[in-house]
Amino acid sequence: METDRRRDSRSWDWDSPQCRAQLDEVFFRPQDYIRAGSQEHREFWTFFERFQRFKGKRDMALSKAGSDALKDESRESKSRKKGAVGSVDLGLPKEYDARYRINVSVCTRDVEERLGGSDRRRQTSSGPGKEEIATCRLTLLHFLDFCQRQSFGKLAKLRREQRSLPIFQYRDRIVELVRTHPVVVVAGDTGCGKSTQVPQYLLASGFSHIACTQPRRIACISLAKRVSFESLNQYGSKVGYQIRFETTRTPVTKLLFLTEGLLLRQIQQDAELGRYQVLIVDEVHERHLHCDFLLGVLRSLLRQRPDLRLVLMSATINIKLFSSYFHSAPVLQVPGRLFPIQVIYQPIPPEEQPSRSEKLDPRPYLRVLQGIDQRYPRGRGDLLLFLSGVAEISTIQEACQTYATHTRRWIVLPLHSTLSLAQQDKVFDISPPGVRKCIISTNIAETSVTIDGVRFVVDSGKVKEMSFDPKAKMQRLQEFWISRASSEQRKGRAGRTGPGVCYRLYAESDYEAFAPYAVPEIHRVALDSLVLQMKSMGLGDPRSFVFIDPPPAASIQTALTYLKDQGALDSHGELTAIGKLLAQLPVDVVIGKMLVLGSVFSLVEPVLTLAAALSVQSPYLRSAQHNPDCATARQPLYSNQGDPFTLLNTFNTWVQVKAERGGGSRKWCRRRGLEEQRLYEMVNLRRQFKELLKSHGLLEGEQGAPCRQDRRQRQQRFSERRKLHQLKRDHDLQEGMRRKVLRLEEGEEGAASSGSEGEESGRGRRGKDEAGQSVDIQEVKFKLRHSVTELQEAAGASQDLSSRQQALLKLVLCRGLYPQLALPDEHNATRKDSEQIFHTRNKQGVVIHPTSVFASDPEVLHVPEPEPRETGSEKPESSKHQLLAFVTLLETNKPTSATASECPPCRSALLLVSRSVDTNADCTRVVVDGWLELTLSDADSALRSISSALMLRADWERLLQAQLRNSAPSLDPAPPRPPCLAVSYSLRRLGGLEAQNLYVGPQPALGLPDAPALNPLFVGMKAEPHPMKGGLRVSSFFTYNCLSDSKDLYSECMRTFWSCPHCDFYMPLTPLERMHHEATCRPAGELQPKDEPEDGTAASSKSSSSSSSLTRVYHCDVCDKDLTLTSTQILKHKRQHL
Amino acid sequence: MELGGTEGTPRGLFTCELCELTTPFTYYGQKPPNTRAIVLLEECYVMRDPFCPEKEKFLVLGSTCSLCRKTVCVSADCSLFYTKRFCLRCVREHLDQFPPQIQAELRKKKPTEKTSDLASS
Repeated sequence: METDRRRDSRSWDWDSPQCRAQLDEVFFRPQDYIRAGSQEHREFWTFFERFQRFKGKRDMALSKAGSDALKDESRESKSRKKGAVGSVDLGLPKEYDARYRINVSVCTRDVEERLGGSDRRRQTSSGPGKEEIATCRLTLLHFLDFCQRQSFGKLAKLRREQRSLPIFQYRDRIVELVRTHPVVVVAGDTGCGKSTQVPQYLLASGFSHIACTQPRRIACISLAKRVSFESLNQYGSKVGYQIRFETTRTPVTKLLFLTEGLLLRQIQQDAELGRYQVLIVDEVHERHLHCDFLLGVLRSLLRQRPDLRLVLMSATINIKLFSSYFHSAPVLQVPGRLFPIQVIYQPIPPEEQPSRSEKLDPRPYLRVLQGIDQRYPRGRGDLLLFLSGVAEISTIQEACQTYATHTRRWIVLPLHSTLSLAQQDKVFDISPPGVRKCIISTNIAETSVTIDGVRFVVDSGKVKEMSFDPKAKMQRLQEFWISRASSEQRKGRAGRTGPGVCYRLYAESDYEAFAPYAVPEIHRVALDSLVLQMKSMGLGDPRSFVFIDPPPAASIQTALTYLKDQGALDSHGELTAIGKLLAQLPVDVVIGKMLVLGSVFSLVEPVLTLAAALSVQSPYLRSAQHNPDCATARQPLYSNQGDPFTLLNTFNTWVQVKAERGGGSRKWCRRRGLEEQRLYEMVNLRRQFKELLKSHGLLEGEQGAPCRQDRRQRQQRFSERRKLHQLKRDHDLQEGMRRKVLRLEEGEEGAASSGSEGEESGRGRRGKDEAGQSVDIQEVKFKLRHSVTELQEAAGASQDLSSRQQALLKLVLCRGLYPQLALPDEHNATRKDSEQIFHTRNKQGVVIHPTSVFASDPEVLHVPEPEPRETGSEKPESSKHQLLAFVTLLETNKPTSATASECPPCRSALLLVSRSVDTNADCTRVVVDGWLELTLSDADSALRSISSALMLRADWERLLQAQLRNSAPSLDPAPPRPPCLAVSYSLRRLGGLEAQNLYVGPQPALGLPDAPALNPLFVGMKAEPHPMKGGLRVSSFFTYNCLSDSKDLYSECMRTFWSCPHCDFYMPLTPLERMHHEATCRPAGELQPKDEPEDGTAASSKSSSSSSSLTRVYHCDVCDKDLTLTSTQILKHKRQHL
Repeated sequence: MELGGTEGTPRGLFTCELCELTTPFTYYGQKPPNTRAIVLLEECYVMRDPFCPEKEKFLVLGSTCSLCRKTVCVSADCSLFYTKRFCLRCVREHLDQFPPQIQAELRKKKPTEKTSDLASS
């Protein structure tokens, strides 16, 4: 062979591209198995070089060992002769050739030509000669064989791994059980392989239409990836996933991984769930709210679908509970695959126990690190340390980092959900040799995040968990001892890759005293959304639903009351029109309400953004809080209107940056300490909300905007998209192969500069190599999913709001957030910034979350000129009082309200959103919801405020109802204007005793001659004495003259002169009469909103001064005539006779 | 743009009689579909290469031992191809007829082969 090549001294050069191209024409034509230009084609030429080098070496070795070979040959011939006597002749060729070991043959141009008899090619002197063709051909065969071996090797390895999983032995048993039982429980511990294998077993044994739920979105994606690979369908779509914004599902998908919440939504649309044959509910032991609920729903569904198969998969925790809930379903228990773990109890000595207010003492933790260094000076294995919260993590991180810097044997990394994703991702990177990772984590690493390579676990035994106080409607974040189950789970993290050690920083007796299982989520959270969903699924009374572990009755009651207050349920507990809509939206009731209101009042774009912003974690990284550079860069984004408006600004500005600089937005975000991922989530959510509103007829579909593009634009967009798809695919292929090696200094940076700085430099470094080899996949996904121009328009639309729109937007927000309002303490102006106190209805002394705009700039909330005018009260009167509307109230050490927005009470919001407004006789004292008191000195303006608020609310209500009934977009209903009255008033929170003795109470009906005339103003309501409060209930929320301190019980009959600003009417009127006149008399040119016919207030309500529907028959004693007049006309008429 | 739908319907399960490797195959014969230039030199159990994004790439799973007619996979632990397919048991039986290169290879392999033999039986 070698001699052949030497002889061939023509201009043939294997390395020359031209020569290779000539061979490409022979072997790698478009119709050939390997095409020129493809990935494999490149691989072939790399292989070619290696193969030739290898052959060269081997030939040399052979010629040296020529004599040995000869001997061998003679021996062989002898033995062959011997063999031929005893057995069959295999007919093998005498001379060995590696070629004989290849079972493939390729028909390429040379073969075709030879067969065809034409031999033109050999005439050309410069082309590849016979030898070159033969060499290339042989190499190609070896290459094909090599590829086959490689792929088959992967397959064999895969199968080997599958067979070595503990669950493999139970394969047939599982399939058999599922065939014969409607419900099967598979219980197995970490590492037994149930999540990946059970769906495959069912798939392989002929089941199709399998759904497998997961509590976490990320698990859906990674499991779908793994299972499609293992079931040899990596490039097909037989196995897919579906999460909130993404799906890989196609018509051929047979196995779908999805979240529990999503499956519930599907049941909402299709109660029978006919599209699935098998449902696998994984991780049921984690007892998430959705999972518990899902089990309840499925339990009743099984009655209607006897053919449905349900598989519950759980760790070996409380298995009996699940089995008995499903009428003692069979349980299959599978052993886990954990290496032995040594448990060492090291309770913290009393002198190192932290007292309540103190920081954690790091000494017990440092001792563990030292111990590991002494006892295990060699070998790999990282340390995972479980603490209860972020503050605890940074305390211990600091101490450990000092130790790490000193010993140079540790890289200290924090892990919790408020870190940026890049920082979270670092825990998966590899430490350099001789250095261990020390990962300090919250309970996120207990289930959600699995880190391989951990051999040591330190368990503090503590967890911070959210609990819900149904009475105060407040969430509490409190520290608890963990349960035995999660203690075991934490321990198990040490034994995934080898024998491990678990240090428990509590006594064995403590462990024995732990609760066996953690409190399920359904016992700990607000159930508003759950109850709403139950109602919309027609599951009857939530109080009698058979939960696996029923939530406290008080929680359900609170939720029912709340939903009634929000208008989602009527007085009989049935869904209202708006309730039905809210149930369809996969968001909190609060946010759903905003969306509906926003679309009714033509504020869709900003409200979509607000709703999305309030539904995701804040993009503002806490770690960047104290970084002066970030603070300065953030400043222009802050809005003194409150956090939601800051988020709105941030989003809009980000969209602009994206439109101008594309991927440059990443840098823009980094500079401001923003987690861009959250903004991407907002864009996705925003779009989902928009689609939901469209599908419910609350929003018009865009008209033909894309059609207007010409063909070139379309082509451009198409080819751009194709490029993006390619980028995404390339990224997907590369994924998982890029674990970086950490530097020893990694942790130091993080600890030294409270987060963001370290992140900046760390990421900057990474940014460089990323720029070279990879793309910003988020940016690619973003571009694939959204049109930047469209977003830019939307952002523009929500940025340039008129002051009226802005006020309306705030109103929508407040109405959404209501009743979550807080009143600033009257002494706040004299307090330090960090000590500003607020009071809610049920909770006094609330502080603002440190990340809030109002926390850094509380002056915004102070009443500007507290000029105490002498008005009989010592409280300051002003027109600029502020209330806070907040999203969540969270109790940690002090109750904290998170995202807050200011809300000026009287001017608009309070009277417009509140559930109950009670007044005294002349409306100078107004009590809202029984806890906020407004006192107005000026009776006239007091009356005017109340009156305009009543009118507005009536208009709103009519508009909203009309929209919901029609379920069709109306032609721009002129949104009602919020009144902009500068009324002076004082605002205070009522004391407990005052609140108790607020009302006059029921009393005998008062003769009110004009009372019936008020009916038409408040549709469907009769003005009648309030049964509890006393006074006169004028509308569903407004009770007049029921406050117990009313100066004069007969004041409603007291008339004062008043002139109407719209007509020339001038008369002495009682407050109620005046309100009524105002309700019917509109300024010329302003149309009253059209009423629905069934309201009884028929069509001709357009006239400027009165409406015929408001008339009634009036008998005038003086004229002795029956007149059809409105009440004001009656008054006018009476006046004539005076 | 998605590669979906046309994965090829499995014609049956291929199981190696030595190592019990089991996997569905989509074609049996010498001319795998969609591969114009390829001819196999034996009748093979074939599937679409699951590790390659391109649809027309195939993967040979195994074939029949030319001597004992056992179905065996192409793993070097189970069979070898030398102008024909031989399961490793048959190769051992007729080792003398194979060229010295193959004999040497098998002698090297022996210890590992034995353990896998034990595991499978």
